[in-house]
Amino acid sequence: MEQQSVLRDWATWAFSPSLSVIVVTVLITLLVPLILHYLLHRQSDSTDVPTFLLIGPSGGGKTSLFTLFTNGTLSTTHTSQLPHTATCRLPSSTSDSSDFESEVSPRNSEFVLLDTPGHGKLRHHALTSLTSPSALKGLIFVVDSAAVSSAQGLTEAAEFLHDVLLVLQKRYVRGKRTVAVPVLVAANKQDVFTSLPAGLVKSRLEEEVGKVRLTKSKGLLDSGIGMQGGAGEDDGDEEEGNWLGEFGAKEFAFAQMEEYGIDVAVVGGRLKGEGDEAGQVKEWWDWIGGNLSR
Amino acid sequence: MLDAFEIITTSGIVLWRKHYTPVSSNVINSLINDVFIEERGGQKAGGQDGGTNPPYKKDKYTLRWTTGKDLGLIFVAVYQSLLHLSWADSLLTAVRALFIKQFAPELKNPNVTAIDARQFNQTFDALVRRLDTGSTRRPSEPDSDVGPPELTPPSSTVSAGEDEPPPLPVSASATFKKPAIPERQKEDVAVIDDTTSADATPVPTPDTSRPGTPAGQPVSGVLVAKGGPGKFSRRARKANSSMLSNSAPASSGDESPARKPKGGKTSVKQKRRWDTDGGIVEGDDEVLDYSASGPTSAPGEDDRDFDLTDVNADEMGSRTRKGEFVLKDLDDEINAILSSQSTSRASKTDPSAESSGLLSSASSKISGLFRNVVGGKTLSKADLQQPLQQMQTHLLEKNVAREAAERLCTSVETDLLDQKTASFTSIDKTIHESMSKALTRILTPTSSLDLLRNINNTITGPTSRPYVISIVGVNGVGKSTNLSKIAYFLLQNNFRVLVVAADTFRSGAVEQLRVHVRNLSELSQREQVGTVELFEKGYGKDAATVARDAVTYAGTGEGKRFDVVLIDTAGRRHNDTRLMSSLTKFGQLANPDKIFMVGEALVGTDSVAQARNFAKEFVDTKGQLRNNGVGMDGFIISKCDTVGDMVGTLVSMVHATGIPVVFLGVGQHYGDLRGLNVGWAVDKLMR
Repeated sequence: MEQQSVLRDWATWAFSPSLSVIVVTVLITLLVPLILHYLLHRQSDSTDVPTFLLIGPSGGGKTSLFTLFTNGTLSTTHTSQLPHTATCRLPSSTSDSSDFESEVSPRNSEFVLLDTPGHGKLRHHALTSLTSPSALKGLIFVVDSAAVSSAQGLTEAAEFLHDVLLVLQKRYVRGKRTVAVPVLVAANKQDVFTSLPAGLVKSRLEEEVGKVRLTKSKGLLDSGIGMQGGAGEDDGDEEEGNWLGEFGAKEFAFAQMEEYGIDVAVVGGRLKGEGDEAGQVKEWWDWIGGNLSR
Repeated sequence: MLDAFEIITTSGIVLWRKHYTPVSSNVINSLINDVFIEERGGQKAGGQDGGTNPPYKKDKYTLRWTTGKDLGLIFVAVYQSLLHLSWADSLLTAVRALFIKQFAPELKNPNVTAIDARQFNQTFDALVRRLDTGSTRRPSEPDSDVGPPELTPPSSTVSAGEDEPPPLPVSASATFKKPAIPERQKEDVAVIDDTTSADATPVPTPDTSRPGTPAGQPVSGVLVAKGGPGKFSRRARKANSSMLSNSAPASSGDESPARKPKGGKTSVKQKRRWDTDGGIVEGDDEVLDYSASGPTSAPGEDDRDFDLTDVNADEMGSRTRKGEFVLKDLDDEINAILSSQSTSRASKTDPSAESSGLLSSASSKISGLFRNVVGGKTLSKADLQQPLQQMQTHLLEKNVAREAAERLCTSVETDLLDQKTASFTSIDKTIHESMSKALTRILTPTSSLDLLRNINNTITGPTSRPYVISIVGVNGVGKSTNLSKIAYFLLQNNFRVLVVAADTFRSGAVEQLRVHVRNLSELSQREQVGTVELFEKGYGKDAATVARDAVTYAGTGEGKRFDVVLIDTAGRRHNDTRLMSSLTKFGQLANPDKIFMVGEALVGTDSVAQARNFAKEFVDTKGQLRNNGVGMDGFIISKCDTVGDMVGTLVSMVHATGIPVVFLGVGQHYGDLRGLNVGWAVDKLMR
């Protein structure tokens, strides 16, 4: 009863044509948009941290690398199902055991590392996150250098790499103020007996990506084209747009990607060492450091 | 016994694990792949009801798992399939509750990449020992003759007292489901016991226990095992009890109480056996154990049974069985956690029920509306129910089979339950996004099919042979049409194609193919591309034999004349077992590299049964389903141009079998064959 009367009083006041009500109404009208804008603006600001993306086929060691970079220690990992972000800091030459000579000042040595699942069904996470973060500073494509020595593993890695590079290329061609995105192909697991050295990984991947590019160009159109309308209007351009690297070139080389601002580096390394020896990831750190300061 | 136990995050990081024997990480990876990512066989990763998850078998291991969905955790127990670990479920539930309890603050941090969970080892060990002994009981019974006689007298006495098993299940179930009074009492008592035991036990432990052991004499092994749990549990209890008071209750309170009691009951009997079998015996543990029991029941020391009964009588009778104090401690701890959770839950619900005041209810409604607009709303089952129903209707209107639609909605529900909506996102939009993701995941093939590359790899090299593709399907779905479309596509890529008329049944089937082949060869000659030929043996012959002959003909003869063999088969009703069974022979004799099934987009709910029945026919000579146990290699969905947006058949068929859609037929012409663009399909379905 009391509550109802209070409510009625309040309602009566709210509908009365008094000055106070008008003032309050005007204040609310003016302030609410401002507050909303402030809230939204603050959220958009926070995404300006340089981001590095970990990508690659399943079982390459992305999540292991992720834990090593974020924690400094290697965790046991299993197949990822969801992407994961964390803030990392470049190891300074003094604090970390790996004698990394940092050219980067500590204040901007922080970056966000985004780990994505590599399972075939979950790659949309990776491919969508390729286009979204504006502050994407680089892409780390982790491959298992031992798996690349088998035909199946090589094909899987090359197909994925092809798709990733194509997305980057399209992003560069279509985007207005796009920044070039460097790609590090991290030839992981160099400690495994059957692994290939980084140079061989590079040449094999180039050869395989070339094959993938060829069969993709000859393959069937996919259902998105022609049925959605709009895409079919410029067939010639579309074909060229879906061709990775220099159009018409027989052989594919990572160097062809430089035309689109994609600098591909293939660097070997290993997360696990023999015995107590730690893995070798210094060169990857170097690469991140170099691209962070860019 | 248990081989391994791991706690994994959904992002793949192992937070804590314990391996008793080396277990390849492949085992758990394949669990994640098959169950969580590919969701094979309709297995769902249940949210809160972890124990109901069906076990997953891989190699010689059986895996049981449960999830802590809101925190993105997966708990996996691995054991040999030969063993029957009925307690694994209760262990999982208990571990989930304890782990989440203990590490809730760290886990809540979304960016957690590792937590220092070493202290969890003790808790886990204690837990395992208590539950494990119980579980092992069954297997040990047959092999260990010594054990039973010893055990029986105690058990009989105990059972006479009705202390061991009966009280636990009854009380537990009653407490859980019905009025809370008995449970409360019991739990309260348990808590009290816990505190008292904590005070009393530590002092006497080491010394008293020693004397206790000799008394056991023949049963020493058993005793030792018991002792183990006691020591550990005490420590764990201490650690946890400190945590208990501070940390808020974690999720999953509901199920766990019910489960735990069960686990406790089984554990009592099994304990003894486990000790003998597993041989996880620690001398120190024994001492501790007895110390605990010693103070409570002095007379019972020489006889285990007496101890047990006494203890039971003292307590609620539930956890004591033979576990003695130590066990009790652990139980108390668990029960205390659970009770605290349930009470907190109750306290949560109570105020809302009581406070029916006008203002508060109105404000809560308003804030609910506001949150719906602004986001940040924690989704409950009630929130999700209606929009999910709408979503399901929407899917059904898109011609998705009810079974598939329901499963998708369930997966969205488990995905979103207890999640917070993002800012400025309504529930509908959140569900929409989650459903898009689920559809994308279900439609995306695990490995993309690059037919041209596969063919090139097969027909080149030292072991070159023709690449064989066969097409199956129900009558009238467009098998021959799609086969000629594929032939056209292959011809464009300069392959030499042999079309095989293995439909020796329907009149006109061979002639139909002949027309197609004539048209195709006309086209290919004009365009100067590949060549095509028809292989036919007329009507009435055995299709499998025709197919085999065709493959031989293509691969040998005047030196491997053909690159690709396309085999057309007779259409058959998927529920006609007589016709369907001949597919098995066909698959084995022709042994195609790829078997594609044609399904028409027009068909509705029946698509699920069609896909299943066809897939299950393709078993190899060892009785294994082809292609890693899924049967076929892909679907061709024909007549997509006739259904507009209603492309739900894609989802239904993929959902039923896990076989990807590789081609879509989108028109009447030879060129109207398309690969599947997942984004396009999802867009059509969600529009």
